[in-house]
Amino acid sequence: MLAALAAVPILIAIAVRVTRAGDGGGGPAFLDRIENNGLFVVFVALTVCVPLFLPLTVGVVAGDTIAGEASNGTLRYLLIAPAGRIRLLVVKYIGAAAFCLAATLVVCIAGALIGFALFPSGSVTILSGDTVSLANALGRSLLVALYVTVSLLGLSAIGLFVSTLTDVPVGAMAATIILSVASEVLGQLPQLDWLHPWLFSNYWLGFGDFLRDPISWSNFGTNAALQAGYLIVFGALAYGRFAAKDILS
Amino acid sequence: MSKVWLRWAPAAAAIVVVAGAAIAVPTVANASVSLPAKTPTQVLELVASSHVRAFSGTVEETSDLGLPSLPTGSVPSSVKGGTSADIALLTGPNSLRVYVDGPTKARVQDLESLAERDVIRNGSDVWVYDSKDNSVGHSTLASRQHFVRPGSAPQATTPDPTDATPAGLAKKLIAQLEPTSNLSVDSNVRVAGRAAYDLVLTPKVTDTLIGSVSIAVDAETGLPLRVQIDARGQKANAVSIGFSSLDLSTPAASLFAFTPPAGAKVTELTKDASAGPEAPGTSATKPAETVTGHGWDSVVTVAAAGSLGKLSQSAEFGELTTAVAGGRLLHTSLINILFTTDGRIVAGSVSVARLQEVASAQ
Repeated sequence: MLAALAAVPILIAIAVRVTRAGDGGGGPAFLDRIENNGLFVVFVALTVCVPLFLPLTVGVVAGDTIAGEASNGTLRYLLIAPAGRIRLLVVKYIGAAAFCLAATLVVCIAGALIGFALFPSGSVTILSGDTVSLANALGRSLLVALYVTVSLLGLSAIGLFVSTLTDVPVGAMAATIILSVASEVLGQLPQLDWLHPWLFSNYWLGFGDFLRDPISWSNFGTNAALQAGYLIVFGALAYGRFAAKDILS
Repeated sequence: MSKVWLRWAPAAAAIVVVAGAAIAVPTVANASVSLPAKTPTQVLELVASSHVRAFSGTVEETSDLGLPSLPTGSVPSSVKGGTSADIALLTGPNSLRVYVDGPTKARVQDLESLAERDVIRNGSDVWVYDSKDNSVGHSTLASRQHFVRPGSAPQATTPDPTDATPAGLAKKLIAQLEPTSNLSVDSNVRVAGRAAYDLVLTPKVTDTLIGSVSIAVDAETGLPLRVQIDARGQKANAVSIGFSSLDLSTPAASLFAFTPPAGAKVTELTKDASAGPEAPGTSATKPAETVTGHGWDSVVTVAAAGSLGKLSQSAEFGELTTAVAGGRLLHTSLINILFTTDGRIVAGSVSVARLQEVASAQ
């Protein structure tokens, strides 16, 4: 899955390099900036991955946490060891969170490498129109990766909870991914304005705030609090379900 | 039975705690504010005596004009900088960051998702930057000239960044509306974490769509922090522009130093020439404007030759307006705009009948 994610920035970079379409103005944000600076491959790739590919892979990993063990018949062996069910849940969640970080970093690193290989590097023009040094821009990219990782923690917690509900991992994966798509669809409807701040996908594309001068931290804080809320609620729900579940396999 | 329910107790507790925190945090922020009582005149004096030279902050704009809201992203991008962008501004919430240092240095950043528009004034230079197409507009300011709203398409006028702040808007509104208003001071409010007086201007006349204008004035400095315009018969604020955070220290000088980034298209915006292909509808000569009445129920008539023709053919125009006697009407909760059949635009915060009366009188 990580290889598939790494393929996204590589495909984007090669497509832009081969076609040299010029600035048509269409396509995802930052696409027309790639020719000036290879680092923008990272941001285009993230813009493309955040709404679909990253939730997809996170849904697969998080949905697999408990249900996967159950369907393999290994869950009861894990629980025979004197580790406790809470600890198993926590470790499984940490695993899913580590995947969020790894997935985001893979997109960023692959994007940066292919970008610098095919396009010029050097100082970077950020959204505010200011120009910053390459080192500064790389630091900002790391912050962007961190932001995207944090954004996915809520979805991971939902996946963990769904995974405790069933012994069929595919069902848990599909349910998690459907929830993430549903959240994004709801986020598109202006009639549901009041609901938007409560959707876990609401701040997913807020990583542009790190490309402003000065960096805007307000979305980062709100997003972190929102994701923490989802983590607490669905973590507790997962515990409620898992603590007294009959383990049959 | 009890055991089955007991295991869900932590989950229920977590939901209650999270919901409680979500509700409690805004409530605490809005706790009642005690300030020494002031009469409306004293609050006006406070505003007039305000000498805030430098500040930075975030301004949140929301509006509910009763227009149909458009799904985000559905606005066709082929309509360049024209009506659709303006409609998006009218219907959606908008977030600006504002930096001001004295009368000649200012920067406004219009924050959008993965994009940004900047208006920077540094001395006599005014720069407009749009990250979407990496374009830069530049003009040199001889004196204070016409202002356009930052964020609208670059026009043949020079933008004044400070116009976007609640302070700039409040001062304009007070200057125009104060003589024809009943003034009162409502209960104190807290805006951007600062205690503020709430000055309310209610129209003396009855034939206006505006219910009231309330201006939150910072108790400490006299800086207007928030402007809210209420329409008659509508519960939500028709327009609300206010700081969500405010810092009274001087912003870093580097914020006002702007050099066009490499690879950007730089357009020189001059005062009297057309700004080029990017600003359709901006004619070299300003169309004649007539203002009937003054204050709340004033009506503006613009002889909009040419520029209206293009606009009135767009599908959006047909959807937003309704046919009335004498032309087509764009109705919002705050303002009525009548596009007459003979190509004039008659607009005002008044009833349709009044607009038709003004239109037929001329």
